[in-house]
Amino acid sequence: MAIPKEIYKVFESIVGPKYVSDDPVICEAYRSGPGGYEDGLGYERVMTTIPGAVIMPKTTQEVQRIVKVCYRKDIPYVPYSTGFYGPRSHPHVEDALLIDLKRMNDFILDEKHFYVEVGPGMVYSPIQEECMKHGAYVVIGGGGAQASAIANLIGDGWSPLSHRIGLPHRRILGTEVVMPDGELLKTGSLATGEDPFWGEGPGPDLRGLLRGYTGLRGCLGIVTRMAIKTLPFQPERLEPTGISPNTALALPENRIKWINFTVPSKEAQVQAMKEIGHAEIGGAVTKVPLFWRAIAKAECKEEFWDIWGKETPESIANFFIVRVLLIGFTSEEQMAYDEKVLMDIMEPLGGVARRTKPSDESWIKNADSAGMWLMCGGYVSVDYVIETLSQSTEHGSSYAELKKKYTPPLMPDYGDPGWFQSFELGHQGYSEFLIYWDPDDDTHPVDQFYVDTSKMNIKNRYYTSLLGPHQPLYLTGPKYGPNYHEFLLKVKDEFDPKWMSHPPVPLAHDVFVERSPWMHPMKDWESPGDLPK
Amino acid sequence: MDVKSKLSGVVGAEHFSEDPNQLQAYATDFSYTAPGAPAYVVKPATSEEVSQIVNICNENRIPVVPCSSKVHFFGASIAKEGGVVLDMSRMDHIFEIDPENRRVRFEAGVSWETMTRALEKEGFRVIMPLTPPAQRSVLTDFMEREEPTNQVYDYGEPLQAMEVVWPTGEIFRMGSASVNGYPESMAKGGNPSGPGLDFYRFFQCAQGTMGVVTWTNLKIESIPKKDKVLFAPIHDLNYAVDFLYRILPRRIGQEVLLLNNVDLAAILAEDWPGDFEKFKASLPPWTLILVVSGLLRRPEEKIAYEMNFLTQVLKNEFQDLTLGENLPGFPGLRNQILPILRRPWPADKPHWRTRVKGASQSLFFHTRPQLAGQFVDLVQAVAYEHGYPVSDMGMYIQPIEHNRACRPEFTLFYDPKDPEETAAVRDLYCDLAKTCLSEGAVFTRPYGDLAPIVYEKAASYVAHLKRLKKVFDPNNIMNPGNLCF
Repeated sequence: MAIPKEIYKVFESIVGPKYVSDDPVICEAYRSGPGGYEDGLGYERVMTTIPGAVIMPKTTQEVQRIVKVCYRKDIPYVPYSTGFYGPRSHPHVEDALLIDLKRMNDFILDEKHFYVEVGPGMVYSPIQEECMKHGAYVVIGGGGAQASAIANLIGDGWSPLSHRIGLPHRRILGTEVVMPDGELLKTGSLATGEDPFWGEGPGPDLRGLLRGYTGLRGCLGIVTRMAIKTLPFQPERLEPTGISPNTALALPENRIKWINFTVPSKEAQVQAMKEIGHAEIGGAVTKVPLFWRAIAKAECKEEFWDIWGKETPESIANFFIVRVLLIGFTSEEQMAYDEKVLMDIMEPLGGVARRTKPSDESWIKNADSAGMWLMCGGYVSVDYVIETLSQSTEHGSSYAELKKKYTPPLMPDYGDPGWFQSFELGHQGYSEFLIYWDPDDDTHPVDQFYVDTSKMNIKNRYYTSLLGPHQPLYLTGPKYGPNYHEFLLKVKDEFDPKWMSHPPVPLAHDVFVERSPWMHPMKDWESPGDLPK
Repeated sequence: MDVKSKLSGVVGAEHFSEDPNQLQAYATDFSYTAPGAPAYVVKPATSEEVSQIVNICNENRIPVVPCSSKVHFFGASIAKEGGVVLDMSRMDHIFEIDPENRRVRFEAGVSWETMTRALEKEGFRVIMPLTPPAQRSVLTDFMEREEPTNQVYDYGEPLQAMEVVWPTGEIFRMGSASVNGYPESMAKGGNPSGPGLDFYRFFQCAQGTMGVVTWTNLKIESIPKKDKVLFAPIHDLNYAVDFLYRILPRRIGQEVLLLNNVDLAAILAEDWPGDFEKFKASLPPWTLILVVSGLLRRPEEKIAYEMNFLTQVLKNEFQDLTLGENLPGFPGLRNQILPILRRPWPADKPHWRTRVKGASQSLFFHTRPQLAGQFVDLVQAVAYEHGYPVSDMGMYIQPIEHNRACRPEFTLFYDPKDPEETAAVRDLYCDLAKTCLSEGAVFTRPYGDLAPIVYEKAASYVAHLKRLKKVFDPNNIMNPGNLCF
């Protein structure tokens, strides 16, 4: 049943006829894919559909009114900002209302108190540009600078710059959330006033509802306003250079520079990260997987394959780079101090500083999504985990082993054991495992690999991002916490008893497995019989 | 079997008490909160025992008051509705110190004294709030978000993954400690977030109302190799705040704080009350304390670049600020202050907060640093109206997160044996809270009288908080009578 006309009229009265549409052409434009994250996989094919209508509110009050109508009239809805997260951000049920938040793009910068206040339609690129003009910076996640800052902060929110800046959860300040029933929740300093500068409380911190380690994909309400903490940067201008798409930021090397070190072994690589963290220097410290270099060098898909095809298990196994970003937060003298300490650390480890371009093509400016996605036509980061360097430096090897079983259709990676890096000055470690495939191949094994990685994590007792809506909740739930799924579902039932906010998330991956015959042989866990079919 | 027998059966008779004399020890603290004795005190030794106790209490609708410290200033662990005090003092193990990941995992009953000594042996420290009492629980202070005096680390919050017992009795590990079989696992507990939701947030500033935190992981830092302690006498608070706006975003210093003459005198005084009165009279109105430290590598050079930066800023922009290794009139203070900032307040010495007049009530909140001076004026004006001698009020300003925020704290000293004085301070405290709240002060830890004042202005937050509480604590057994529950 389509969205009834009388309700459609109500939506028109809320936002004006210009900003709501059930035109099939418009709705088709909101179909998941092509070319995006997780594009073409079973989850997208089985679980996503086009919306019944699209609405574009401008204010929190409009969002509240829309959601209240949806709740009263049993119309499922999906919040949507920039849609980076592919199928997970799109409607999973027929005739849902897609609430496109792009018009909510207000942006206030408080340079003295290091935060920006934004709406969900505000993307990272101008935020970073304005921040850097005023002596601050933010982390732009792998999703790229055109991702919504709010969506990224409540979903993921990290990059190599997290070596110093740390967990995204801590950068969420005063926040406004339209809860699934349309009621407005204000957290942090917004709970008792209009100034958004502070994040916590009062009392038990309801920011806990916004996300877990990773996000909830809009199943517990819509964030309509958020103050995001920025961090003090160095004062000199990073000049944009190049012609699109080959752009970069020229770095003033007296205050900021990347240095790539080759080191003789993985042990040296890991030790370098630990020592740099202990010494409390640097703005980023990361391993560089070899295929990143292939991506960076390639101008097109064919060239990528030419470069990458020359690699072998031996070349992968003997490639160890530690990439370090030095930032002169205090002064040029501090920059020189950090560099001396860095050399003190790297020399005994056999690290050799290689000539490194005095520019940033990725992490400071715009992250790396465009380059990452298109090498094979299909891409997903199958896991991305913040834990300790103890876990992160071992995590990828397990994936690499498991991946052999699924290659092809996955891109041959010659045993590449993934990417790891330091977070929070070495208190934490990060690991990420990227997979590529050709969408023209049979992609069922990709779907299976995704679930199999979850089982691998459970078996090997790894922490993982593959929790909540990202995997079958009844697979992971009993094994983490234990039984975190029961508590998550209780909270969902309390605040969204009618399950109107992006149904059937957080059970969507459970439903996907039920609906997909090629997944059935993998299902060796218990789940309730009343899952939506 | 009756409840008493069940509880006693869980912990053993020697760790169960209904002796009125023993119960009285839990009935009061250093706040003016009305006394409230529990019916029983139980002292569990393990998470499993905590789980069983909470389960028994939940089944029988009996309030549970978790209590991890021996020193309390806010009345949060006084039983408001009777029930069982869950004394966590036997859960005092430091499970592991992990130098590789700079992490310590420890139980709720571990005190500051135990923690600092254990870490010191390994060359580590926890960044700590100002003068935590030696017997106070480290875990409680971080759960309640005491602000450390060290604000140079961008990550801000040192808490990592932890374990809780829900009000319905289930043991639950959060963050990366949630993996099956932890701690015998690849995951070490470095990430507090998840699984599913950031459950750990619900326990912060919760005063034990959301469940019982049994152990946690916490970041630790290396002890600096060298330190230079700097002081500046401050006569113009706004000028000092401007200076902090200039230097702290440049990541200068480790510990940094501003204390007025009353607080600093109370902290420094050895001979009592002679020293206190003398110091109070001779200290400047405010003192800025800034510790510049050299870390593991090239410590002298680190101190040098920070000092060179400071020298330039002082010379070019803040000529009226005198920052040096000595505070005029207080020779040797630099040697005295560092242990005060890096060690807990000794157990055998009355805490400075209680030493002045026997008790104190502190009002603290978050604000923008540029408003700190206005709040000082406002608080002093209200205190004057109430007849409280402004010259006796302790004041402490903690810059936070590179000085993008700060936490002013106003301490009202009073004689707890004098009912009139106690009542007057209570009146003043409530009036101050209302006045500051109306001017934009942000209260994140609403204890006692503060709770209804703050929550009255946070209707939507309270409504959602109560719904969340109902999910996890359907019978409202966890520390009822606090916050909005």
